[in-house]
Amino acid sequence: MPFKQFTISFIILLSLTVISVIVGGFVDHTTDIYQGYVIWLVLGAAIYKGHQITDVFMELKTAPLLWRVLLSSYVIVVPTLIGLIYWLPTL
Amino acid sequence: MIHNQIAININDKKLPGDLAMWFFILAELTVFAILFIAFAVTRQLHPHMFIEGQNHLHPIAGIINTLALITSSYFVALSVHAIKKSDNSKATQHLIIALLISSVYVLTKLWEYQVLIESGFGITTNTFFMLYFFITFFHFMHVLLGMIILAFIAKKASKGEYKATETSGFEAGGCYWHMVDLVWIILFPLIYILS
Repeated sequence: MPFKQFTISFIILLSLTVISVIVGGFVDHTTDIYQGYVIWLVLGAAIYKGHQITDVFMELKTAPLLWRVLLSSYVIVVPTLIGLIYWLPTL
Repeated sequence: MIHNQIAININDKKLPGDLAMWFFILAELTVFAILFIAFAVTRQLHPHMFIEGQNHLHPIAGIINTLALITSSYFVALSVHAIKKSDNSKATQHLIIALLISSVYVLTKLWEYQVLIESGFGITTNTFFMLYFFITFFHFMHVLLGMIILAFIAKKASKGEYKATETSGFEAGGCYWHMVDLVWIILFPLIYILS
């Protein structure tokens, strides 16, 4: 049922937001070695949240493959690029 | 027989809303992607300026805005589901709730801008604040446009103008709103969390 699906996605989105904020709060307090993990955890959460928006809320799960691939690619590529820009200098 | 069944399954895949709206969404997402990458690259070039600038921001406001946009998206999704069942009344109610919650975003954002400006920070302060104000204000304008679109489709729904077979306009409006939320999903960690 869509209502149940929307509600589960909504709870996931709220939970990942809270978790991101808590995890992100550790960036300032840790050494460089942990910053990489934090960066990818926070951006990984953003990628998953983005997929919830596109697949469930936008209902692209049942859309033609081209559009689903386009939006999914955006949700993966942009945060990944950001992650690489932030993470590579910490190596 | 199997060939016909496969053809039917392929035809069942439908892009929600209007094709034109999807091209518009893609264009807007591309612009935001460029801005996000520019922010990230500039941050790496001026890390101290950006860290200092981000220390002046209000993460609580960012969290409130995130929760507001996610919650309003939820109600917009419910409204689209209602309109597909020709339940214009329920769709209208959900949209009104979505609009009220999105007002929380607007008020919080305006408060944030007021505090920063009164503290002496503006678009000409330095590169960080120039990017911060430009990106967030650009997103803010999209939120305002999204609210106008939601109000427009809510008004049409309240008059019972949508039917289960004619929902593409409604869906298009809903997809635009989800795009605004999607952009914020990336913007929030970039500007507020990864400091």
